[in-house]
Amino acid sequence: MATRSVSRRAIPLIRQCSVSQRAFSTTLSSRNTNTTSNNTTTTPEYAIPNPSRPTHFGFETVTEQEKRKRVAGVFTSVAESYDRMNDLMSFGWHRVWKDHFVSSLNPGFSPLSSTSSPTGPQHILDIAGGTGDIAFRMLHHAHNVNANPSVRVTISDINRAMLQVGKARSATLPASHQAALSFVEANAEDLSKTRPLQPILSESEQTFFDPATATAGIPDNSVDLYTVAFGIRNFSNIPAALREARRVLKPGGVFACLEFSKADKLPLFNTVYKEWSFRAIPLIGQLVAGDRDSYQYLVESIERFPSQEEFRDMIVDAGFVVAGQGYEDLTGGVAAIHKGMKPRDA
Amino acid sequence: MAKPTPTIAITATRRIANSILRHPRSSTPSLLLSRARSTPSTPSTSTRLQQQQTPSSSSSSRPYHSTTHPPPPPPFTPSELSLLSSSYPHIPLHGFTPTSLLLGARDLSLLDISPSILPNGGEFSLIHYHLHLQRTLLSTKLDSLFHGTEAIMSTQEKVEALTWARLKANSQIISRWQEALAIMAIPSYAPQALKELALLSDEILFLAGDKSVDPTWYTKRASLATIYAAAELFMTTDKSAGFSETRAFLRRRLNEANTAGGFVGAVGQYLGFTGSAVVNILRSKGVVI
Repeated sequence: MATRSVSRRAIPLIRQCSVSQRAFSTTLSSRNTNTTSNNTTTTPEYAIPNPSRPTHFGFETVTEQEKRKRVAGVFTSVAESYDRMNDLMSFGWHRVWKDHFVSSLNPGFSPLSSTSSPTGPQHILDIAGGTGDIAFRMLHHAHNVNANPSVRVTISDINRAMLQVGKARSATLPASHQAALSFVEANAEDLSKTRPLQPILSESEQTFFDPATATAGIPDNSVDLYTVAFGIRNFSNIPAALREARRVLKPGGVFACLEFSKADKLPLFNTVYKEWSFRAIPLIGQLVAGDRDSYQYLVESIERFPSQEEFRDMIVDAGFVVAGQGYEDLTGGVAAIHKGMKPRDA
Repeated sequence: MAKPTPTIAITATRRIANSILRHPRSSTPSLLLSRARSTPSTPSTSTRLQQQQTPSSSSSSRPYHSTTHPPPPPPFTPSELSLLSSSYPHIPLHGFTPTSLLLGARDLSLLDISPSILPNGGEFSLIHYHLHLQRTLLSTKLDSLFHGTEAIMSTQEKVEALTWARLKANSQIISRWQEALAIMAIPSYAPQALKELALLSDEILFLAGDKSVDPTWYTKRASLATIYAAAELFMTTDKSAGFSETRAFLRRRLNEANTAGGFVGAVGQYLGFTGSAVVNILRSKGVVI
C-alpha cells in the first residue's frame, strides 16, 4: 500500500505526471485514446500503469514491469502442475470455493424463457482464467443448471502457457460448451489490446502477452459479468485493472472477484493457517512441482494482498457500487468473494 | 428509533420539538413503497411524542427512550435499496425469489446478472427489506390507527392496534409468507430474522407509549414477539374474510398474556408479602435476620 499512499500525496500533480508518463508508455497513450468514457480525466495517477513504479512481488519490492515478468515466469513454471497443487494446498477445498463463487453469481439465470432478456445474451469475461476452472463452471451453470445456452464465456489470461492448459482441458467439454468458449491473450490492465490464443511454437518463446502483437480489443460496455478468481493479487497495478473492468462492463454489469484474503477474525485458526501456508506450501511445491520459489511467492503474495475492507474500498474507489458489506468471507476469511456493480448512471 | 438512550437535555429536546412543529408535516406516504422509504417518516412521530411528553418532561422525570435520536440508517446500501425496492412489487406474483429480483433489475434497466451483487443470492435480502420497510412504516400509520384518540386508549389497545396494522401489512404477500418463514428459519439467517422480530416488538411497544424501565421491559417485548410470530404463522393459513380469524387469534393471545402477566404479578406480590411477613414473625421471636 506504500505506492498508493505516496501517489495519493501526488494527486495535485496528476496532470503533469500523466502527461510525462504518456511520453514513454505506449500502452497508456493508446488506452486513453480508446477510452471514450469520461473517467480518463478523473483517473487518479496510481491507477495508470507505470512500468517503473515500485510495487510488491511477494515480500520484495520491484517495479511494475519487473513484477509482470516475474509473475509470468511463476505461472509459466507452475502451469502444468497448477491444478494438482491447488488440490494439495487447499485439501481440495478450492473446488468448493469455486463452485460457491459460480452458483452465487447464478450466470444465465432467466425466469421463464417466454421473456428473454432485453439486454441480449450474457457475455462473461473470465480474467486470469487460464486453466478454465471458473469458465467451465460458469458454462455448466448457465447451460445445464439454468438451461440458457446463449451465455458466452471469454477466458483471458496474460500467460499463454496457462491458457494452453485450459484449452487442452476444454477438449473434454460438450461441444455446445466449447462453441460458447473463446480464449484471448490480454493484459487485464489494458483490455483494449487482445489477441486470440496463439499456439506455443518453441520452448524458448516468451509466453506472456506482448501488447504490440494485439489484433483486437474488448470494447467499452460489452461485458455482463467480469470474474477474476485467484488472479488479481498477481496484477502489477490493481487499481488500473479495476478501472479497466469498469470500462468493459455494461451499466449494471457485475465485477466479481474470488481471492485469498485475511482470516484475522479467527486468531487461533489464523495461526494454524499461517503455519500451513508458510511452512507446508513451499515444501509441497518443492516436492510435487519441483519449484519452491514460485510457491514461496504465492504465499507471500497472499500475505501482501489487502484485507477484505481495504479491497472493497478499492473497488468502490474504481467506481463500482456494492451491496451489504461488499464481500463474503469463505472458510473464515481464507478466501473472500468481492462483488461490485457498475452503476447505471456511469 | 426506540433506542434505550436517555435524553440528554430536556430543554434542547423541547427546542427541537418546537422547530419540528413549525415545519409542515410530511404528507402521508403513498402506497408506492419504494417512494415511502425515502420520505422522512420520523418528524410526525417524534412531534407527536414530544407533544405527549412535554407536560411530564417539565417535572423531574426523564424519559428512558430518546425521541430525538435519529433513526438508525437502513441496513442496505443505496444500490441495494434501489434493487430491492424495484423488486418489491413483483413479490406477490413471484415470491421472495431470484425471479422477482431479476424483474426488479429489468425495471431499473439493469442487467439480469445485476442482482447477484446481493449477499447470498438476495432472497433473504428481499425478506429483510420487507421486514425493515413494514417496521419503519408503522410509525407513519399512527394517524390512521388512533384517529387522535391515543390519549384515551390504553397501552394494551394501542399494542393490539399496532400489531394488527403490522400483520395486515403482510396481507399482500401472505401467499408467499410461508416460503419466507422457511428461508428465515435457515440457521445462517435466523439470527438476523430474530433481530428484526425483536426490533419490531420494540417498535410496537415504543409507539404504543410503553415507558417501562423495569424487568417487564424484557418480558413485554418477549411475549409480544412470541405472540406476533404465532399470529403471523396463523395468518398464513387464515382464509376468513379480512383475516378476521387472525385478529380474533391475536386478541385472545394478547388477553392471555395480560391475564398471565397479572397472575404472575399477583403471585409475586403474594410471595413477597408472605416472605416479609415470615421474616417479621421470626424477628419478633428474637431471630437475628
